[in-house]
Amino acid sequence: MSTRADVQGLPAGLTGPKLAVWWFLASEIMVFGGLIASYLVFRLGGPGWAEASQHLSVTFAAVNTLVLLTSSYTVVRAFVAAERGDIGGLRINLGLTVLGGLLFLGIKALEYTTEIRAGFTPGSGIFWSFYYTMTGLHGLHVLGGVVLNVVVLVAARSSLEHVHRVELAGLYWHFVDVVWIFLFPLLYLS
Amino acid sequence: MITASLVHAPSHADTGFWSTYVFSTDHKTIGKQYLGLGVLWTVVGGLLAGGMRWQLAWPDTALPVVGEIGPEVFNMMVTMHGTIMVFFVAMPILLGAFGNFLIPLMIGARDMIFPRLNMLSVWTFTVASVVMLSSFFVPGGAASAGWTGYPPLSARPEYTGVHWGLNLWILGLALEFASFLMGGVNYLTTAIALRAPGMTFFRMPLVVWQQLVASTLFLLSVGPLIAGAVMLLLDRTLGTAFYASDLGGDPLLWQHLFWFFGHPEVYVVLLPALGFVLEVLPVFSRKPIFGYRWIIWATLVAGALSFIVWAHHMFISGMDPRLAMPFSVTTILISVPFAYIVFAMIATLWRGSISFDVPMLWALGFLTMFIVGGLTGIFNGSAPADIYINNTYFVVAHFHYTLFSAVVFGGFAGLYFWFPKMFGRMLGRPLGHLHFWLTLVFFNVTFFPQHHLGLAGMVRRVANPLQYDALVPLQWLNVLSTWGAFGLLAAQAALVANVVWSVRAGARAPGNPWDANTLEWSAASPPPHLNWGPSAPMVYRGPYDYSVPGARADWHSQDAGPGRTSALGARS
Amino acid sequence: MTVGHAHPNYTAVFVWLLALLGVGLAASLVPGGRGVALVVIFATAVVKALLVVLNFMHLRFESGVIYAIALIPLVFVAILAVALFPDFVWHAAPRGAP
Repeated sequence: MSTRADVQGLPAGLTGPKLAVWWFLASEIMVFGGLIASYLVFRLGGPGWAEASQHLSVTFAAVNTLVLLTSSYTVVRAFVAAERGDIGGLRINLGLTVLGGLLFLGIKALEYTTEIRAGFTPGSGIFWSFYYTMTGLHGLHVLGGVVLNVVVLVAARSSLEHVHRVELAGLYWHFVDVVWIFLFPLLYLS
Repeated sequence: MITASLVHAPSHADTGFWSTYVFSTDHKTIGKQYLGLGVLWTVVGGLLAGGMRWQLAWPDTALPVVGEIGPEVFNMMVTMHGTIMVFFVAMPILLGAFGNFLIPLMIGARDMIFPRLNMLSVWTFTVASVVMLSSFFVPGGAASAGWTGYPPLSARPEYTGVHWGLNLWILGLALEFASFLMGGVNYLTTAIALRAPGMTFFRMPLVVWQQLVASTLFLLSVGPLIAGAVMLLLDRTLGTAFYASDLGGDPLLWQHLFWFFGHPEVYVVLLPALGFVLEVLPVFSRKPIFGYRWIIWATLVAGALSFIVWAHHMFISGMDPRLAMPFSVTTILISVPFAYIVFAMIATLWRGSISFDVPMLWALGFLTMFIVGGLTGIFNGSAPADIYINNTYFVVAHFHYTLFSAVVFGGFAGLYFWFPKMFGRMLGRPLGHLHFWLTLVFFNVTFFPQHHLGLAGMVRRVANPLQYDALVPLQWLNVLSTWGAFGLLAAQAALVANVVWSVRAGARAPGNPWDANTLEWSAASPPPHLNWGPSAPMVYRGPYDYSVPGARADWHSQDAGPGRTSALGARS
Repeated sequence: MTVGHAHPNYTAVFVWLLALLGVGLAASLVPGGRGVALVVIFATAVVKALLVVLNFMHLRFESGVIYAIALIPLVFVAILAVALFPDFVWHAAPRGAP
């Protein structure tokens, strides 16, 4: 592509696509940051939220945290495999990452079902509004990440040409993990 | 797009109509697609304004074709006029069209670094447009809670009577945000990665700097509003409690989240226009821009400050009064970098060899009108004064003087200046002069009286000012403003006529009709696909070497090799 | 591709992440001292996040541009959060039940 032939001006080791992903992540930090800041001030300003949060299952969420942390580890191992040209290792680790994402979503779905059956819907008050919105938006991002990882995985089956995309998909996946690292204590442990 | 097909051959002779004009990845075509969509929306936004002004001048009388406008329809018009002008006119034209067209050319690149992402962004904007347009036709009509969409009015469908219209409004805006986030990432990465050899950051034209800062402001400020908009949509559809004080929420949260974005957004609109004017002034004064680096620092400072002034939109919202003083201080502070930029513009003109070509007229119009708007901004930004004038027509006058300066005067400066490059034809001068003077006069007739109306107490978003006895003697000002608005809308016919005439019979544009230095003028008019032919430019100097003592000519192209004024003809 | 920089020991980082998760959970289950528990919980969260960002996302090997892109949004989020305190944390009027 002739646009790439003229590449200059990037600091060493940085590619255009990687820079672009970081810019995108900056905008995502603002989205989740806005949500979290709103939650934080409401939480600090109002009494009685601890009561509502008792109804959440710390167990489910702790397992989910474990799942996401592990999937971050597997996606970085996939990147290491990609760098070495190890297609088998790449596919296994990326596959595990995808499974981790699906497991997270499955547990989340189970959680939501349990809570809704107990009568806690998004309309049940301000804590539940925040809970469903924050975890729901995060869940949508997890879903997006799963799709992204699947696309990269499928592309990696045929050739190593686009293998640098593993790192880019990984960056997004880690971001989603970091958001959950904060959502977990904010919603479940406070 | 029809215009384009008449004035230049398709980018790729053998790629067919759809790939060349509809699903193009060429930044120049994408820029024109944004321009076309923005122009279509200008018609819609302008008609809405015309209808609003009719109702304000002659309340509760029937308009031609549409009949009587009641208060609900008026609220819808007010809402959609604002939403459309900011998000579907200003941004696609100033940022989408000019940014796409100019950035690769001005930095010496062949295209954006992500051409397919670019195509995705304009298509996302197209879908956003369809969604927003469809909101007019659903039962209940389009959104009517103001372009600012404050809850509880916006959060409970039963308050406005608008159900799907407001939901589609939120969705349309979300898609528009996604489109410009994609575009912004593309612009920023392209400018960092694809500059031609010799094009250092401090040799980039100010147009590019302003596009980049504007994109950064948008990218960093829109997040909290996206969060807030999700919350609003859920309040409306799932009964969440975010903005409902009876359920533990607070409507004030929306205002903070909206304006945290809303204030940087006005600079997202302003900065590209500043860039066009900063480009036009040196060319038509044959002088370097005054204080190039300081303009860049001022822009960056203003951009950073723009994130800490937002609550000046909320002085009468009932927010904690302790916030009033800090935000007044930051707001007064932000006037300093912009004042510097205005002084730099004037200093550029000082003792220049000024020619009053049409782009220069628009640039001078921007300068004068923006000063008026900027001055009233100081009153609005200071809490004690703002308590009195907030939510009145004084504010409406202020933001029309600033925004109109940007979008119309700045935008037309850019359009008349770069039209030859974009479409390969020159626009006619007599019609251009007519367009400018009519617009300038009617603009002031429309908006200057609104200062007085605002100070006299006429509040915004009220369909019938005659309900208030104190305003009845001032109704003539509303009538005057409305006639001004009709004149303003009619005056645009001069541009339409000019464009139509130009693409049929206008003079073919040479590569560099203005003897300007920046790289786009070294490409053909219009540039071919991939812009530069076999060899891309090499850059030897900054963009503002005009009237350099001892030089062969009063300009010196950025990519002209030693001993040459221009690189045209030196490369195939 | 970003070959050319050293790799951190990803496995060691992962073990640390698991350990920190454990510490945070333990703190939340220990009865009494709510304030201290919260400090521990959020401190471990911050450290976990830093470990992921610096090591898994390679931020520690990236240029200053990337650091700026990652940090500036956090500053703005902090500004937003602080500005919301007067209205939502220190508000005078009582709020409705959650």
